[in-house]
Amino acid sequence: MDRQEIMERINVIFRDVFDDDTLVIVDSTNAEDIEDWDSLEHINLIMAMEKDFDLKFNLKEVGELANVGEMADLIERKLKEK
Amino acid sequence: MNSYSYDEIEVGRKEGFSVTVTEEALDTFKGITGDINPLHNDADFAVKKGYKGRVGYGMLTAAYLSTLAGVYLPGEKSLIQGVELKFSQPVYVGDVLNIQGEVTEKNDTFKVIKVKVTIKNGDNKKVLKGSMQIGVME
Repeated sequence: MDRQEIMERINVIFRDVFDDDTLVIVDSTNAEDIEDWDSLEHINLIMAMEKDFDLKFNLKEVGELANVGEMADLIERKLKEK
Repeated sequence: MNSYSYDEIEVGRKEGFSVTVTEEALDTFKGITGDINPLHNDADFAVKKGYKGRVGYGMLTAAYLSTLAGVYLPGEKSLIQGVELKFSQPVYVGDVLNIQGEVTEKNDTFKVIKVKVTIKNGDNKKVLKGSMQIGVME
């Protein structure tokens, strides 16, 4: 799976979690850009990504993410390690 | 009160309890919330609308999910993060409600469990169905 495909799947997850079909995310998107992106929704996002990509993260990894691009990088790296 | 740790909970674990719906519970709920809607407070009104009698508040029925999580599953270490539910049937005074939860999913990263919840009346009909997301504290 290439990075563009990863971003497309992440976008679908964001739309589902935030219940907003118009949401378009880019690498620089972060919690400042999405009003409902609070700590609880962050948990929901990460859980949805673990399920969708069949991956396991640890708290340190997800705590260091600054934006969606870094999230995609982490997923890409984890998928290659599988 | 149960006090399951995250590691002690496995997918498939079930917990539950029963309560009887009383006039007093409906009146207390009305006092707390200020919901004076006659469907829940005037039996004659409710009968005219096609119900057997005073209809229990759906949100009162749902409130027992707080007990399910906070006392039974996982109990003491519970932190409710979200609830999704539907009300399938009316609840009446005198109904014995059977509140049941079953763990369907665990997330090790955040120590969160997902619980399928069902509340049935004495006729074994579902009056509420839904799911809860519950954090399990250390």
